[in-house]
Amino acid sequence: MTEGVPEFVPAAVRARLRELRLLARRPSGSPGFGAHPSRSRGAGLEFSQYRAYQQGDDPRQVDWKLHARSDRYFVRESERDSPLEAWLLVDTSASMAQGDAARPGWSRLDAARGIAACVIELALRQGDRFGLVTIGGDGVTMVPAAGGPRQCNRCLLHLHRVQAAGSWPAPDSLRAVGECIGPGALVLVLSDCFDEACVALAGQLSAARREVLTAQILTTEERDFPFRGGYRFTDPETGDELLGDGVSARADFLERFAAARRTLATRLAGQGIRHVEYFLDQPLDAPLQRLFGRASGEAGPDRT
Amino acid sequence: MSLGLLLPAGLAALFALLLPLALHLTRRTEQTPTIFAALRWLRIRQRPRQKIRFEEWPLLALRLLLLTALALLLAEPVLYGAPGSARWVVVETGIDRAEARAAVAAPHAEWRWLASGYPTLERDPPAGMVPLASLLRELDAALPDDAPLTVVVPARLDGLDGERVVLRRQVEWRVIESGESQPPVAPPGPAVLAVRHARPDDPALRYLRATAVAWRTAAAGPDERRVRVEVAPAGAPVEPDMHWLVWLVPGALPPGVRAWIEAGGIALLDAATEPPVPDPGAALWRNARGEVLVTGRALGNGRVMQLTRELAPAALPEVLDPDFPVRLRVLFDPPPQPDGAFASTQAPRSGGLELSPVPRPLHPWLALLVAILFVIERWLATSRARERPA
Repeated sequence: MTEGVPEFVPAAVRARLRELRLLARRPSGSPGFGAHPSRSRGAGLEFSQYRAYQQGDDPRQVDWKLHARSDRYFVRESERDSPLEAWLLVDTSASMAQGDAARPGWSRLDAARGIAACVIELALRQGDRFGLVTIGGDGVTMVPAAGGPRQCNRCLLHLHRVQAAGSWPAPDSLRAVGECIGPGALVLVLSDCFDEACVALAGQLSAARREVLTAQILTTEERDFPFRGGYRFTDPETGDELLGDGVSARADFLERFAAARRTLATRLAGQGIRHVEYFLDQPLDAPLQRLFGRASGEAGPDRT
Repeated sequence: MSLGLLLPAGLAALFALLLPLALHLTRRTEQTPTIFAALRWLRIRQRPRQKIRFEEWPLLALRLLLLTALALLLAEPVLYGAPGSARWVVVETGIDRAEARAAVAAPHAEWRWLASGYPTLERDPPAGMVPLASLLRELDAALPDDAPLTVVVPARLDGLDGERVVLRRQVEWRVIESGESQPPVAPPGPAVLAVRHARPDDPALRYLRATAVAWRTAAAGPDERRVRVEVAPAGAPVEPDMHWLVWLVPGALPPGVRAWIEAGGIALLDAATEPPVPDPGAALWRNARGEVLVTGRALGNGRVMQLTRELAPAALPEVLDPDFPVRLRVLFDPPPQPDGAFASTQAPRSGGLELSPVPRPLHPWLALLVAILFVIERWLATSRARERPA
């Protein structure tokens, strides 16, 4: 990593990343050779299927032994492993700047940077292509998908520069996101998912045959609501203010917020989106462990 | 011992106690600003509780204490009655201190000189200007009621007045027979009356010369002080060995003459002379109709008198009276009052007026308390501000 760019991934987290692999549930459609199951069929080790000979097929691919038995021309096809295209979609609206009073200087955006850096590390190790999209008050900024260490540096530098400000941009400017992310790509959305437009975007991408994962980054204050005494709560994006006593509002807030989170999880699951929650006091690799780790084995791809 | 307030209205300053209470109260209702993005799930059922709560109790208590002390300071608290009634021994300044200590066996008593301010016996006896009777009365009024008092006096007392000293308490009156009797007072040498005139044909000079002749012929007895009159124009210097001066020059008094008066001279100024001090002083001589002829007052160590009219028969017919020389002599040389007596006959009587007790002011202690409290308050307030996270 270049000088001046801080290390996003702590050493302990990096050590645990070794056990992880970026896995897509659906077979990848990317061209080329890689480590992931793909829909492309061709020459390879793993037998996939026989199909009828078509004009133009390479005669070497015809299974002549089968022809001897059945007197028909069959072409033997194998599965071909393809590389994965991973996209990181980072929310940089103003709400991402929120952190905990107990740990100043550690905001949602910092956590998103760390998780993104972990994913980039994984993708780099597996030789996958990866790209970065940041969506916030400054509009949509993209680092097109590519592979290799230089792409890694490009993405980390961009993550380092980006600031959390403004609110979610208009839907028109988001059209480019769908166009840029190809079908079959793995999209990890790092956001607080408080913006309806953000959740809607994830749903659209999922409906358009992208494999979407969402990591909802929440502060510990939103989980525990540890406020005692009078507080002036300010929404960073709308500027709305609420004046209230922390203790009296706690139970109601926790109940409503938990209900909202359940609703969101149900909705995303219905759209085929794998969804995890991440709290700011958890280690950075926690959401990745739940998405790609051994525990998520039954949710992983069926590799027969 | 009881506590009293000289100015109870000063306690109105206690209303200032509301100020720190309000300060510590408003801080409580202040809202902590918090960024909270999940605001839409937050529903406020209850406004911040306006419970009466104060922050930083120790600081508040200290501030209340400080203001109370200040209000008390304004109310001027005094303490009636003294805690200790130690025995007082006062010694007349003419007595040797060793002799006095030998005469009175009171080792733990307060030993003081009987002089203005009652200095302790360790100091040198101050030159007494205040009469003894007055000092005794003042001391009696200032001491607590039950404090025993011993007065050590020489056999012959001076500084008495027409009234026999009557005190509130029974006084132990210790007379010390000094070995040496006081030497007889030698009659003073001839006095010099200097007359300074503006013009030699001043009519006043004539009467002054006649007065001088009258004084000389009248000075029959050996006690009478002889007077030498020296007449000179205004420019002639006034020597320090001259005693009296008649200044017949109009206009301002020269600084030399003024300095001579302040050094102890006695001067009679003409009516046309500018008075050296605006206040003419007391009337020293009135005529039969009650009109003031001469006023006089002290100036430095000396005395300055001024005629209210010209020293001439037209304006001042009294110059023609046969007793004019005597009158003029009394102005310069008032006859002594009898103020001496044998101490054994002058023991103060008890049963004087019950005076209201002299309260002891508590200002200094209270001011010290306020200062200490203020320092602690500042220290506490600033150190707390330092601890508070920015």
